[in-house]
Amino acid sequence: MQKSKKVVILGHFGVGKTSLIRRFVTDQFSDKYKVTIGVHITKKVVTLPTDDTISLILWDLEGTDALEEIRDAYLLGTHGIVFVFDVSRPSTFQHLNSDLKIVAKKVPERPLLVVGNKKDLVPEEELTQLLENHQISYNYLTSAKTGDTVEDVFMELATLLNSDA
Amino acid sequence: METKLDEKDKLELLKDILFPDDREAVQDISKRIQLLEHLVNDQKLLAAKVDPLVDDKLNTFTKNIPNTLGPTITATLKKEIKNHKDDVVDALYPVLGKMVKKYVAQEIKILSDKIDNQLGFIKRFKRKMRSWFGGPTEEQLLMRELASATIEQVLLIERDTGILKASYSVTNTIDEEMISGMLTAIKGFVEDAFHQKNQKLEQIQYELYNIHLQSFVTHYVAVVISGNYHLKSKNKLQDIIFNFYYNFMALNLDLVFKSKDPEKAGKEVRTIEKELLEKELAASFGNAKI
Ligand SMILES: Nc1nc2c(ncn2[C@@H]2O[C@H](COP(=O)(O)OP(=O)(O)O)[C@@H](O)[C@H]2O)c(=O)[nH]1
Ligand SMILES: [Mg+2]
Repeated sequence: MQKSKKVVILGHFGVGKTSLIRRFVTDQFSDKYKVTIGVHITKKVVTLPTDDTISLILWDLEGTDALEEIRDAYLLGTHGIVFVFDVSRPSTFQHLNSDLKIVAKKVPERPLLVVGNKKDLVPEEELTQLLENHQISYNYLTSAKTGDTVEDVFMELATLLNSDA
Repeated sequence: METKLDEKDKLELLKDILFPDDREAVQDISKRIQLLEHLVNDQKLLAAKVDPLVDDKLNTFTKNIPNTLGPTITATLKKEIKNHKDDVVDALYPVLGKMVKKYVAQEIKILSDKIDNQLGFIKRFKRKMRSWFGGPTEEQLLMRELASATIEQVLLIERDTGILKASYSVTNTIDEEMISGMLTAIKGFVEDAFHQKNQKLEQIQYELYNIHLQSFVTHYVAVVISGNYHLKSKNKLQDIIFNFYYNFMALNLDLVFKSKDPEKAGKEVRTIEKELLEKELAASFGNAKI
């Protein structure tokens, strides 16, 4: 039987969490069920290069500007995390390090990938300079709009989670 | 002539009412504890304690088991139970749940019978009215009201992660893994929002369906029901769930233990376990009338 993992997507409002998932999960589930509880759940079955398959159950939390206010119930048992910021809005990454600390405290010792989204909005040279100035370390820069590098994020997380037993 | 119950008789009577399953339950519990003890306590450890004694004087030992090994076992058990409280609770929950439920159900039945008696006449009248006004015939309406609830889908879900462990369904409709996540999110939301840690969300209505949620310590069971879902059906359903969970626990203690271990949480269920579970689910819920 194939493995299933709970993945939570975190980050400030409007950074593109939902867009990233929509881009990655092509066979979108209808919005009909959209529950007004501040979380949207989708699933994607990923086939790894090793031919292993793994189900990612993606928890898209809404309105999580204040990380402290996330319901603990939503984070329980999380296997992996994607933390997204918006490269075109410094306010979403200014406090990245303290944000990540809060995340690590709430969900300790789980694979976490930091993703700067909306790279299509900032010229490349400017972007690296900007992030360097803010001393931001990230794993990937993506664009949910063009699809650039989106797949890579989830593939790496799936790989991490697969070896995570 | 009038015979009066003395205090002791009353107590016995009360006990009978409260715990009709008393003896059976105690046997169940002790069987369960044996199983747990066997599992939690490394067998070798026990052997190390027992072997020297056995070599020495097997016969006296056997005769004196209650005195010699008894305290050790009791002490070990106490310790193990203390260290694995959740597991023990999980193992005992269905048994205790059944006992408590039975009592509560009796009380509620008396109450609802009373209400039914009073409401029956209004219902009959309403049916007549509706059929007068050109709706479905009285028989049709009656049939509809009597149409029993049907189990459409059963999901065994890990409580924290919302990961689906096994399922049974009559018709495969929406993605079960996603439903499991959704239900877990809704459940988390409600229980969190109302700070009802000890009061679990038990029922969700979704379009034409009722979803019954029965929480245990590490897992919960979600049953999707179509048709008329009333207290009577709920009672039957809970019995089925408790029975299933009871069997499931006996067969799959390691599944529960695994998910308590943070290192191994969410680890894939071995195929045989899942197959077994799904067989068990199908057997328990497949032909069940609720
Ligand atoms: N240009 C651009 N816009 C994006 C990108 N990702 C998301 N957006 C836009 O940003 C807004 C917020 O996106 P959304 O996914 O709802 O953010 P969320 O609050 O994090 O879920 C929407 O208007 C999206 O169309 C991107 O990569 N590039
Ligand atoms: Mg969103």
